[in-house]
Amino acid sequence: MQHKVTRFAGSTFTQVILAGYTVLALFPIVLIVINAFKSRAAIFDSPLALPNSESWSLIGFEKAMKNAHFFNFFGNSAIVTVTSLVLILFFGAMAAWALSEYKFRGNRWLMAFFAFGIMVPIRLGTVSILKIMVSLELVNTLTALILVYVAQGLPLAIMILSEFMQQIPKELKEAARCDGVGEFKIFFQVILPLIRPAVATVAVFTMVPIWNDLWFPLILAPGEETQTITLGVQQFIGQYATDWNAVLASLSLAVLPVLVLYMFFSRQLIRGITAGAVK
Amino acid sequence: MKKPFPWHIVVFLAPAFLVYAIFSAFPLIDTLRLGFYTTTDTNQQLFSGLANYYTLMVDPHWSEGFWNAMRNNVKFFLVHMLIQNPIGLLLAALLSMRGVRGAKAYQTLIFLPTLLSVVIIGFVWQLILSPLWGVAETLLGYVGLAEHFQPWLGDESTALFTLSLMSVWQFVGIPMMLIYAALIAIPDEIIEAAVVEGASAWRIFWTIRVPLILPTLGLTTILTFVGNFNAFDLIYSVKGALAGPGYSTDILGTYFYRAFFGYQSQLGSPTLGAAVATMMFLVILVGVGLYFFFVQRKLQRFSF
Amino acid sequence: MSHVSLKNLKKSYDGKTDVLAGINLEIEDGEFVVLVGPSGCGKSTLLRMLSGLEEISGGDLEIDHARVNDLAPAQRGIAMVFQSYALYPHMNVYKNMAFGLKIQGAGKDEIDRRIRHAASILKIDHLLTRLPRELSGGQRQRVAIGRAIVREPKLFLFDEPLSNLDAALRVQTRLEIAKLHRDLNATIVYVTHDQVEAMTLGDKIVVMHDGHIQQAGTPLELYQRPANLFVATFIGSPRMNLLEGVVSDTGAQGMTVTLAGGQTLHSEVDGTRAAVGDRVTVGIRAEHLWENHDGSERFAGTVNLVEHLGEANYLYVTLSSGQDIVVRGNGEREVALGQAIKVSAPAASFHVFDRDGLAFTRLKPGNLRSSKG
Repeated sequence: MQHKVTRFAGSTFTQVILAGYTVLALFPIVLIVINAFKSRAAIFDSPLALPNSESWSLIGFEKAMKNAHFFNFFGNSAIVTVTSLVLILFFGAMAAWALSEYKFRGNRWLMAFFAFGIMVPIRLGTVSILKIMVSLELVNTLTALILVYVAQGLPLAIMILSEFMQQIPKELKEAARCDGVGEFKIFFQVILPLIRPAVATVAVFTMVPIWNDLWFPLILAPGEETQTITLGVQQFIGQYATDWNAVLASLSLAVLPVLVLYMFFSRQLIRGITAGAVK
Repeated sequence: MKKPFPWHIVVFLAPAFLVYAIFSAFPLIDTLRLGFYTTTDTNQQLFSGLANYYTLMVDPHWSEGFWNAMRNNVKFFLVHMLIQNPIGLLLAALLSMRGVRGAKAYQTLIFLPTLLSVVIIGFVWQLILSPLWGVAETLLGYVGLAEHFQPWLGDESTALFTLSLMSVWQFVGIPMMLIYAALIAIPDEIIEAAVVEGASAWRIFWTIRVPLILPTLGLTTILTFVGNFNAFDLIYSVKGALAGPGYSTDILGTYFYRAFFGYQSQLGSPTLGAAVATMMFLVILVGVGLYFFFVQRKLQRFSF
Repeated sequence: MSHVSLKNLKKSYDGKTDVLAGINLEIEDGEFVVLVGPSGCGKSTLLRMLSGLEEISGGDLEIDHARVNDLAPAQRGIAMVFQSYALYPHMNVYKNMAFGLKIQGAGKDEIDRRIRHAASILKIDHLLTRLPRELSGGQRQRVAIGRAIVREPKLFLFDEPLSNLDAALRVQTRLEIAKLHRDLNATIVYVTHDQVEAMTLGDKIVVMHDGHIQQAGTPLELYQRPANLFVATFIGSPRMNLLEGVVSDTGAQGMTVTLAGGQTLHSEVDGTRAAVGDRVTVGIRAEHLWENHDGSERFAGTVNLVEHLGEANYLYVTLSSGQDIVVRGNGEREVALGQAIKVSAPAASFHVFDRDGLAFTRLKPGNLRSSKG
């Protein structure tokens, strides 16, 4: 029975490490959220305790809601992220289709041109992007952010989608062509419905960086009206740095939507990452 | 018969091409060009050759900060390479073992921080490490190390390392997931063949599994490299554009921001910013180039 | 000398339902044992229990009279060839073969000697520096076998090693494995789901179904004296024809069965344990039926479909009773569809099974084809 013993020891070791790291990963988030519901005194007296009837307080949330345009910020982030994602998927799918399906001169060059954008961060072009946005009078508009994020997300989307499209059986397109279906109809009615599984992967890789970005909102759209949630939280906390209730509450408010979404979509998301990573 | 011009290809490619070309490719090239100009007080841009680069690398007023940021950025990267990626490898190796209870749950929870905004993470850790609140001190007290507590973020000698660890804490999920995916892609039979031949778990890990995931380890390295040399958000949200104390946490991203927009009494200049961006571009290009010509070429992907 | 004995081996994953329910089997030195059965019958699980990759839930596994249940795979003196070959993709052929020996702590010269020897047997000398991905399927297969040979194991385990090869290569490799067995005088346990592979390779064939051994014996025994309906229909191609009937007369020297269509037939089986009125199933192999010939039993029907194989053809015939049977006919004779046909078979060729599917002992299972003339 000797190798049973070592196997048991091995699994205990594994559990200890994994559980330990999981606690480390969650502790800071949990700490912030539980303290957001406490009175100022309780936050300092017993930061590790759960809120109870004595220490319960929502004052932080009241302040956060009153002083900042949280819903406005949240709406801005949602508009920017969703619009960008839709455009990335749509434009990306069209380009991926053209690059993977049709043989034409310059195909490989175009592929390399797009691939370049995967490795080189778009931030490095910020000086010039700001110049363009100024001349287009798009500074402090959500449009500016969307345009930049679409440009940022396209290369990876094209890469993932064209890889996926190459796996679509040739017979399918050939059958459609034999029936005299036009190229546009083939794309919209045959190909688009088929790439749904790849959409999850693309969404994971493009949405999170857009939602969390601080750089471009700070430079292209810092105005009160167009702030995204990430920038809004950053600015708000900067102003109220000493008001612990408000800071903890606003951090919780910023975390919660992500937590809720993650609860629902974590399985698809992780599958998307794993599938995308094997390639 | 002449083939009709393939309009459909143009239509399919045009939107992606235009957006990407105008808002990504062109700005990048234009930035490289602007690096060769200087901005006058009347906001005119004049061609001035390598003047900006001379300023950055030699003029003591700017070069000191530039090289400091570059050094710090290298340290920032090394901390990720030496701590984040080994931890990611360890976690992935444990998760990919057969019959680990709750593997999916662990994976899901450990990945969670990567989805949160760097801004939030920065503030959260700032609060935890704050001597005012004392949470970190209390926790250290539980294991009898309270006297070792220091306001790490405020100390020039420890601030950068502390910030690096915060970033490691947040992003360890990414190497973990990439490596995990590569590990589970290795067919069971290959591992079983080694078991039948008498190889220990330790030996199988180092002589079979790690060699087979080398391409993924290479990819993780280059992603870490590009991400680190492009970092900005964490330092900016915790330490502001000045990357204090005493520029000890300044990295290329924050330096770029200051060169572009100025700080305190120092005026910024788009062209000097462009020169900094160009330098960052070169650093990343060298890294990616090394990756493709040495790592990628040597490490063939194994099809199973 | 290596002798393997399986005593009441059990496998259960949840402690309640048995995947394998008490397997008993003796494997003699130098014997080629084939485990065969449909997928899910437990044959691969059994092989993995022999290898040590799968834990044994109950019973004893002995190799050379020593209990090895709790020994790690490497300590059992076995070598395994996997279905996907499981070659280490990052090592060349030489290193693949050397890996296990290095772990054992064999000396450099010894390793080299063994690899050269195995490579010359398998004719892969020229491939030693290649990586697995530079090899063809057949070559990878040889390397996988070579990796097993260099270990000089007491027992070789093969897990469906031919199923990833194309048809032509499969036949060729099958012959080579048979030759290898003879040359090395190796003891082999071989898993397959293909009954042709089993029949051609095995000294002893073990037919498995639902976690039980249905029958173990030589290829000819399984063909001539299948112990039950499962073995009877599993071994032989095309599948044995089955006809339902009722016993109308029975004794030690034979049994008369009245078929569903009212027709009676006499079969030469030991019917002492049957009684008149028992329901039975009669089995006849297609190759024991022939057309237009005076035999002791006769069926009439029409031809529905003809499959031409060249030397023979299979006639799919619907009997007047409505039953469908397959007849192996003379391949060079034209048969028209819809043609009326009469087929006969000698009484000695019938298999009879009771209601539980157990066979009645056949009295004269000898060579029926020579009497076909």
